[in-house]
Formats: sequence, structure tokens, C-alpha cells
Amino acid sequence: MLAYAARRLLVSLALVWVVATLVFMVIHIIPGDPAELLLAQGGVAPDPWLVTDLREKLGLDQPLMTQYWTYLGGLAQGNFGYSLLDDHSVADEIVLRLPRTLELVGAAALIALLVGLPLGVLAALRAGEMLDRVLSSLAALALSVPVFVVGTLIILVLAQNLRLIPAGGYVALAKDPLRHLGLLLMPAITIAVGLGAVVLRVTRASVLEVLERDHVRAAQARGVSVAAIIRRHVVRNALTPVVTVVALHLGALLGGTVLVEFVFNWPGVSGYLVRSVESRDYPEVMGIVLVISALFVLLNFVVDLLYAVIDPRVRHG
Amino acid sequence: MRPDKLRRLALPAALAGVILLLALAAPLLPLPDPVTQDINHRLAGVSPGHWLGQDEYGRDVLTRLIWGARVSLTVAFSATLIAAFAGTLLGILGGYFRGLVEIGTVRMAEIVLCFPPMLLALLVVTLLGPGAGTLIFTLAVLFTPTFARVAYAETLSVRALDYVTAQEALGARSGRILLRTLLPNIAPPLIVQVSLTVAAAMLLESGLSFLGLGVVPPDPSWGLMIRGARTTMEQAPLLLLWPCLALTGTVLVLNLLCDRLRNALDPGTGGKSRPGFLRRLAVLAGVAEQPEAVPGLLAVRNLTLEIQGPTGPVPVVRNVNITLAPGDTLAVVGESGSGKTLTGLAVMGLLPAAVRVTSGKILYTGRDGRTRDLLRLPERALRALRGRDLAMVFQDPASSLNPLLRVDTHLAEALRAHGQRQGIAARVVELLRNVGLPDPASRARSYPHELSGGQRQRVMIAAAIANHPRLLLADEPTTALDVTVQAQILDLLAALKRSEEGMGMVFVTHNLAVVAEIADRVAVMYAGEVVEEGPVAEVFAAPRHPYTAALIASTPEGDAERLSAIPGRVPQAWAMPEGCRFAPRCDHARAICTQVAPVLEAPAPGRATRCLRWKELA
Repeated sequence: MLAYAARRLLVSLALVWVVATLVFMVIHIIPGDPAELLLAQGGVAPDPWLVTDLREKLGLDQPLMTQYWTYLGGLAQGNFGYSLLDDHSVADEIVLRLPRTLELVGAAALIALLVGLPLGVLAALRAGEMLDRVLSSLAALALSVPVFVVGTLIILVLAQNLRLIPAGGYVALAKDPLRHLGLLLMPAITIAVGLGAVVLRVTRASVLEVLERDHVRAAQARGVSVAAIIRRHVVRNALTPVVTVVALHLGALLGGTVLVEFVFNWPGVSGYLVRSVESRDYPEVMGIVLVISALFVLLNFVVDLLYAVIDPRVRHG
Repeated sequence: MRPDKLRRLALPAALAGVILLLALAAPLLPLPDPVTQDINHRLAGVSPGHWLGQDEYGRDVLTRLIWGARVSLTVAFSATLIAAFAGTLLGILGGYFRGLVEIGTVRMAEIVLCFPPMLLALLVVTLLGPGAGTLIFTLAVLFTPTFARVAYAETLSVRALDYVTAQEALGARSGRILLRTLLPNIAPPLIVQVSLTVAAAMLLESGLSFLGLGVVPPDPSWGLMIRGARTTMEQAPLLLLWPCLALTGTVLVLNLLCDRLRNALDPGTGGKSRPGFLRRLAVLAGVAEQPEAVPGLLAVRNLTLEIQGPTGPVPVVRNVNITLAPGDTLAVVGESGSGKTLTGLAVMGLLPAAVRVTSGKILYTGRDGRTRDLLRLPERALRALRGRDLAMVFQDPASSLNPLLRVDTHLAEALRAHGQRQGIAARVVELLRNVGLPDPASRARSYPHELSGGQRQRVMIAAAIANHPRLLLADEPTTALDVTVQAQILDLLAALKRSEEGMGMVFVTHNLAVVAEIADRVAVMYAGEVVEEGPVAEVFAAPRHPYTAALIASTPEGDAERLSAIPGRVPQAWAMPEGCRFAPRCDHARAICTQVAPVLEAPAPGRATRCLRWKELA
């Protein structure tokens, strides 16, 4: 198990390095002078003085390898560069905001699993019946509603029309725990709608497949109760594909936070990202994209460990 | 492609067509200009010229919805087509040349997948600035790797096809063959991927536009419209609703189209969900208690089973009668498809959902001396018998053990299911020792994949006898095992018969050599019917049915000088011959055999045969 974990960790670290390198490369791959591109406003050629200045600020006047080493060296020390606008440290801002985004993602994943898994199992056990058809149609609908539409409609109905909840915002957990969770709930549910539908669908398909396996019938032949068979022989065996698909959707999930934080004014790292993109503050954008992408890779590492926990055969590789 | 699958495709395809047509025809429709403002009528409600009202700049909402579709679909389709072309090309190149080219194409493209798509899009937007061109470029880059993967996988599988390899060995220009084989194979997954990608691209495009980082105003886009309507949602909530509906509806239609396309292109069952093993079977009507029945151990009476065929119900087991006394072993013999396994499963109440019991009785006399009809016993009561009175060992021990559970869990749950609470761990080790598993204490802690095939079957047998069953059904328990292991498992079963007092056994097999070794009586099944039954020694010495005789002659044991295979094959359940079912393959068949269906007759006490000519042939 330990050897397996170590091997997966090494692969993940290598991937983080690849991601970092790619983020570094983007500005050089894009055709055109990046400094000019960044300063261009609707086709008007920017002031050459400003271009030279920006080029110097971004270190684009240095040889490529020098830039790369400076960049990697900075990353190793936790330095993600400085904002073009006010020179504040990107790393500081990320450290402040990242926990809020992670909290949102965690809450959303939790809700999605708590709702999607049992409903998926239920739909599979009632396959072809009314309940299954209703659940499957709901899942298809939930999968098709863009996350920002869900958020906007929730605000329109619950906050605007019914005045049940505030339209968004944030209060620190230490300040007012109840209000904090109250404000967390709506954005978390918004993200969970799509993810929960994915979980439901995969769970249903996976459970249906497991239900046809011989070991289920063998357990029945031993007289094991239906509830115990579902718990021990069906759901557990059906989990691996669910974990895989949730992992595949982590990227969309992290992307979804960008929109949801924007809609609900949740001051996480993604909302910060949108502002940075608007002001075209490249070092900020680069830092955030790098951190979230690295996080994405590391989350996939956690998923790999989960496989080994679920399936003993994986541990022996 | 099956017609019902095509029919299911019609609705989403038609809807997608309508949306596409509206978007294409937008400039031709008699609509106001989508960007002309009319500040005096901002947020105006529905009016004759404006069916859906006017937005925050007084522009016509319906016009902007239709033009928005045009913009959104243009971006989504352009990006998808570029990605499909580039990705497929990369995938084919990578899959064809492998090696360095593969690293340079497929693996390079896959690096993109390390990023959450939204974030990579934002990174590019920061550099290039928002706009439709940036969107198309970004989305194309994001979706290229998925296409590359699809094409790569297909290329690899086509390359491995026998005739492609053969052509290459003959020196044919392999590139051309590959393409000719590949293109038809690759089209279905690509079509599905395209519709999937268009929907995903629309979602990303609208999301970015919603953030103000996608399509640039004043161009209409659904994402932008939702963004604009958000600010005025207090005064005009409907303005928010229309673009939300348009966007969700379009994505829904595309997703539906994709689902059904996948179904239609899938040669398999087409996503028709089967209920699996846990579905309760209908219990036959009537009372289970049979006080006037003669107590024995097991008596199957006139059992008939049906499956739903393409043209109607088809009997797969017909009028089967089997009797088993306590302590006896009955071998049920027959070729694949003779219905012997289904008969065994019917006794356990574990028939697959597709199989229906139409008539008959399965009488079982319990420990309390009362005889019940298992076919009429409620599921709850039957479950109490399963694993305690009735136990079953299945054909393939590898798939019959849950790979995620340790060996001891399988045994412990059998004990716990029937009320044992204490001393379970000790009993598990004892059981494993009884079935001859070496080092039972540590084997109990191992997982099924750590055991050999023979050891796994020993574990299955241990779980089956955990509660001292009165009837053990063994369904071809040695078929999946190596020949040397087969003998060991047979020895084990024979030994268990001696140690488990009074346990009756039904041994389902296609191997006559095994029958002689283990059974007291034998029932020969053919095409869903019992054709001969009797004590093993008598049946082997003087078979009273030509099929039994042919089976004995085709067994590679004993002193037969040459093996004779039985010509022809078992008829399909829906194409049963009239008269004797074995007549088409029978050397002794006469005209009468194809006209009159034989009934079971008793050629001697304790024996039965289903042959019209047994007297002449004896």
C-alpha cells in the first residue's frame, strides 16, 4: 500500500511540474508579443513605452531559460509573483482565499454524494419502473442546466421573490458559524446539482452492472438479506466507477466554482481570478491557474489512493 | 440499427434541427435588428412588435434570443469541428506510428487535460482579450485531446485486427488499408463525441460570456443576456428566464441527442436496463404447505420454465420430474442449453429475471418433517432456507466470490444470516480446514485474488456447507478448474457426503465420467426435458434412451474403442421439433418419432425413459 502511494505521489509531483511548465509556456506559445497583447484595448496599438515597461516587469526581456529558472525558483519558495496593478503578493491573496474555495468544493461534493449515491442505487434497484424514469429524467435535466443558471435562478426565486435567503455574500466561520454555513449552503447546492446528477447516473449504471455479477447470486444463495447484499456486495463494488467519474468531473467542478463564486459573491480564489482576468493582470491569473491546476492534480492523487482503499487488488498493482 | 432506436432518436434530432435552422435563418427572419437600442422602451413588457418584451437597452428579446443562438452555436460548432479534425488527426498519427510520434501527438494533447478547462480558458482570455475568435481558439484547444483519445484508441484496435495484420504481412500499403478500415469504425464514436462536445462548448461559452469574458457586447449571446438581465431582475424577472430556458433547453436537446445516438450506434442491447439478480420473482399462487405429499427430500414435479422469446414465451424447461432421497446423490447430465442449470436455480428460487416459472411444484421436506412447495413459498421464508437447508456451489469460483471482501467475510455472512452470533471466527477457520484449505487461519484473512482456482472453489464449498445444509446443489463445480484440481474437488465433495450426515446432493454436470464417480442416480436432460432417469450403474450398463447411449459412447473413458460425437446440435428453444426432440439427431429415429411426442415410461422399477422405441431398442 505504501509503495503504491509513494509511486502515485511521484507521478503526481511530476504532473504538477508539467502543469507549472505549461502555465509558464502559455505566454510564449501564444502568437504575438504578450506585452502588446496584454495592453491592447480593442485594436488600438498600445504606447511603446508602456510595452517596454510591462515587458521588463514580466521579465520577458530576459532569455527564456533564465525566465524559466527564475520562475521555478520562485515557485519552490512559494512565490507566485506580484500583481501588475498594486504589486501585492499573489501568494498572500491565494493563501487567504483558497480555503474558502476548498470549503465550497468540499461541501458541494459532499452534498452531491449524499444525494446522488442513494438515489442512484434506488434508481438501479427500481430499473425500468416509474421512480427510475423520474429520477433519470431529473438527472438529465440537472446535467443540462449550466451552473450559473442554477445559481441565478436560485437567487431570483429564493432571495428575490421569496426573500428566504440572502442573495449571497460571506461571513467568516469564526465570526458567526451559523450564518457562515447558511451562506455556504446555496452556492454549494448550486454546484452539487450537476455533480449529484453525474453521481446518480454513474451509480445507477454501475449498480445495474454489479447486480448481474455472479457473486451477488452466490450471496443470495447463502441466504444473506437483501439489505446486506446491497450494502456489502453491490454498493461497495459499484463505487470504483463512481469515484472515477467524480474524479473526472473535479476539473469541471473547480471550473464551476469560478461561476458560482461570481454569482454568489463568495470571496474565494475563483472570484479573485475573474477580477484578475478582467483587469488582465497576468501574474495574478497565472498564479491562481497554477495553484488550482496543481490542486486538481493532487486531488486526483487522493482519488488514486481511494481506489486502493476500495479495491484490494489495486494495492498489489 | 433497430427501428425503435431510430424512433427514439427522432425527437431530439428534430428539436436540434429546429434550433439549428432558427439560428441559420436568423438574418432572413422578419426580426428587428438585434443591436439597435430603444432606450425609451427599456424593460418594456410584451407588445405586438415584441413578443417577449424588450431588454435593458430596449432591444427586442426574441430577436436577441435567436441571434444569440446563432452566436453560441457558431462558436460551439466551429470549435468542435476544429477540435474534431485536429484531434482525430493527432490520434490517428499517434496510434499509427506509436513511439515518439505518439508522445508528440496524443500525449502532448493530453497535457491539456491536466487543467480544469475553465481555468485554461481564462488564462488564454487574459492574454488574447475576450471575443468570439478567442473563444473558438480556446475551446478548440480544450476539446482536441478528447478527440485525439477516441481516434487513438480506435486506431490501435483496428491495427490489431487480424486481417489488417495479415494484409501488412503480405506487404500491402498498410496506411491505405488502415484508413479504409478505420474510417467506418471511428465514425460512430466520433459522431457521439461531436454532439457531446458541442453541448460542452456551449456551456463553457455561455459561462465565459456570463462572466463578461466571452462574447463581447453588443453582440447577443445567451450568457451575456443572462448577465445583463441579472442587474434588472427585480423589475423584469422574465428577462432572466428566457435566455436561461433557451440555453438549458438547447443543452438538454443536445445531451438527449447524444444519449440516444450512443444507444442507436451501440450494437448491444441498447441501454435497455436489466433488473439483475436482486429482483423479486413472482411467487406462484397457491399454498406452500403440502401436508398430503409423501416426505422425501426433494421432488420436482412437472416443472416448466419459460423465457420471453422474440415471438412470445418459449419453454426452456418442460415437465421436468426429479426425485431425491435424503443422503442420495443425483447427477443431472446434459449438453449446454439442456436446462439442467435452470432446474437447479429454480430449486433455489434464484432464476434470472428473464425466466418465468409457469407450472409445476418443487416439494421440499424440511427439518421439521413438513413438506412445502418452494415455488409457492414467500421470498422471506425461502430466504431463510437458502444457505441453511438449501446450499449451492456455482460453476465459476472466480466470479462467485466478491473480489473486495476477504474470504472470512463470505463465510461469516453465511453463518450470521442464519442466526449464529458467537464463535464465528473459530467456525470459519474450522470450515476452511474441513474443505482442505492449507493454513486456514491465514487464508481466512486473504482476498479471493490471492487464492488459486481450486482454493477458491474450496472456499465456496465451505460457505455452502457452513450451516450443514440438507441439500447441496453443485452446478458444474469443476468445469472452470484445471483437470488435476477437478479430481481433488470431486474427492472433497465425496468426502463431505460422508461427513455431512443425511445431506442430499444434486450434481449438475455435462461430464459422464464424473457421474459414475459421485452419483447414486442420474437424470439425463435434453432440450429442456428429462429423457432418462435411473440408478447410475443400471443406466450406464443398459441405457434405455438413444441420447444416453450416445452420450456414453462419446465419453473418453472406459473401453469404447473410438469416440463418437453426437451429430447435429441441441435445437434452439424457439425452434423445437414436433414429436421427439432428439429425433433429428437420433440414429434410431423413425417417421413416428417426428410426429408423436414421447411421454416418460418406466422400463423397469425406478427407471424412466422418454423414448417411443425403447422396447424395440432394448
